[in-house]
Amino acid sequence: MDVTSKTSEVPEEPAAAGATAATEKVWKAGRLEPMPIRKLPDAPPSLHILGPTVFLVALGVGMGESYMWPRLVLVFGPDIRWLFMVGVTLQAFVLLEMARYAMATGESIFFGAARIFKPLMWFFYAAAILIYMWPGHLSAGAAAFEEVTGIPWQVTACVALVFVGVLFSLLSVIYTFLEKLLGLLIGLLVVGTSVIAAMVGSWDDLGRTVSGMFAFGYFPDEAMTSVWFPVVVGSIAFAGPSGMQQMWYTLQLRDSGAGMGAHIPKIRGLRAAGEAESMPSRGFMFDTEDPAELAKWKGWRKWVTFDALLLFWGITMLVTISFTVLAMSAARENPNVASLIEGGDRDAALKAMSDAFASAGSPILGTLFFAFIALIGLNATLGLFDSFSRGQADMTYYFVPGAKRFSMSRLYAGFLWGVILFGILILLFGPADGPAGILDTLAFLSTFAMGAYCVVLLLTNNMLLPKKIRPGPVRNVIIGFGAVFYLGMLFYCLFRFGVAVG
Amino acid sequence: MTDLKQLAQYCLPAASVGAAAGLVAGGLAAFVGQPAGWAVVTGLLGLGVPLALFGSGYAVLVALGKVPAGVFAPAAVYWVIAFPLALLVHAVVMEWVVAGTPGLPAEPWKFLAFRALVSMGFAIGFLWMHEQIGRLWWPRILDRNQYARRTVEQYVHLAAALQARKAATGRGGKKRVA
Repeated sequence: MDVTSKTSEVPEEPAAAGATAATEKVWKAGRLEPMPIRKLPDAPPSLHILGPTVFLVALGVGMGESYMWPRLVLVFGPDIRWLFMVGVTLQAFVLLEMARYAMATGESIFFGAARIFKPLMWFFYAAAILIYMWPGHLSAGAAAFEEVTGIPWQVTACVALVFVGVLFSLLSVIYTFLEKLLGLLIGLLVVGTSVIAAMVGSWDDLGRTVSGMFAFGYFPDEAMTSVWFPVVVGSIAFAGPSGMQQMWYTLQLRDSGAGMGAHIPKIRGLRAAGEAESMPSRGFMFDTEDPAELAKWKGWRKWVTFDALLLFWGITMLVTISFTVLAMSAARENPNVASLIEGGDRDAALKAMSDAFASAGSPILGTLFFAFIALIGLNATLGLFDSFSRGQADMTYYFVPGAKRFSMSRLYAGFLWGVILFGILILLFGPADGPAGILDTLAFLSTFAMGAYCVVLLLTNNMLLPKKIRPGPVRNVIIGFGAVFYLGMLFYCLFRFGVAVG
Repeated sequence: MTDLKQLAQYCLPAASVGAAAGLVAGGLAAFVGQPAGWAVVTGLLGLGVPLALFGSGYAVLVALGKVPAGVFAPAAVYWVIAFPLALLVHAVVMEWVVAGTPGLPAEPWKFLAFRALVSMGFAIGFLWMHEQIGRLWWPRILDRNQYARRTVEQYVHLAAALQARKAATGRGGKKRVA
């Protein structure tokens, strides 16, 4: 690996500069263009709650928290939640390490992967298309909306797809709007679930939920069967952001101007694509030999740690605790719910939790539960479509020959409308969740991508960053554990039971 | 000197977050065909009013400079007390509606302790929405409201720091060569 241990003096863009005498410091990282040294901006105050993690929370608080884990609790009891605790805590560390590379360079983790070994990046490029072209998340939210309104879910899903496309195309600066909209939706979700959990739950439910998070090692025999083990593995992968969502977070960090991302222009909507600034062909590095710059770096780490712990870990935990408390109330209201789920009634968990809401005082709260699921579906749709288009546009722009003649905004719009049109075709003419045979492969790819990005993180942060800002041994061990955790469970599942992930 | 009218005006975003929680429940009650009276009592009066009042209390503290705007820790401390009390009012009102006489829930200390723990989630959501709505409301009234003006100044100061950061890094609209 061609990585210098310190910055060196080389000409900047010699072809453009016409071999003039202009030189500047650069940081050589991997096999691609070196990163010019620029000033690191000052970090914002770390205590204000609005940051780019809003995206990760929007993506992370999804069906795993509201459906898959409560379902496991209904079947195996709250002690199974220690696995959720491990999954989400691991994801918080992944978030911090993803942020390390993105904030130090202004580059996405995809660019970092390409600096290590280009086929790594192409793997993520292909995996993103295979995983996220199916409109499964949207279907779930639309189905819940049908429970509330009676409007057929295909209609809602198609309207939502077109709405998202038009919305993102009309926006001047996509990030700014999306941050506000998701902020409001998540605020509503968090306030709502807290109030409902407070009305429905009890001290004993909460006590059992919280103590279950620390019941390390609890794993009932039934969970080791071919029916449930793949479901458990899938649920662990869906604890917090699953699939490639953490990788896309590095793009949102860049677009929000965090760390060296301040040197990279923002992506604009299609309508304002002509106003977009030209994208630099690589990221930047700051001078890690300068104590003042290192002090600013510590400020940025503090800022992102606050985001990771309070917003990401805290909100994900709170929402899932609320839903688990609801699930336990459901078990009281409907004691045979576990046997219904074990008997293969996949909708029983959702219906039982709706009953739990209703038991708080009136049937309106059962309706409210489905409204929350619909809200989660909308959040996931907005976040995933934006992130998918952003990630694919980023990789296409930098690594597909000739793609630079289109602006990043136009590439973004191309991927966005591509996934929307494919989604509409599938919703109208095909199986909404994608062909059943492919789904297993997609679940496999999603978990495999998570194990793979842990490996990529270890490589990028330890090989591409200057020594002074590399992660310490404890963090490396935790991320290494993540790689073994995801890939190990996945392959065990595959070889022991012959299925990928439930 | 404290101006009550201005304070009330300043508190609208905070009150609206609390009211929203009650309105969602009440609105959905009407939507699924429950009697309007039931919807109003359980949702809006029982829960929305106490949360709106406590929310306004928090906003008053911000307006008077007792706690900083948009910072999490003071909001968490405030709601760990206020949220259980709001739910207690709701439980008493519900008992009144169902049984005809107001009454405390069973094991009131456990009742309060559980809600105090859940309040952390409400505090984050409240603060989050309070900032989002406040950003739309306070700039509209700052000419005639000293508290809104002070809060907006705090945010302008923060924005100025961010702008200075952009300027220092040359991000402010200058075209770059790929």
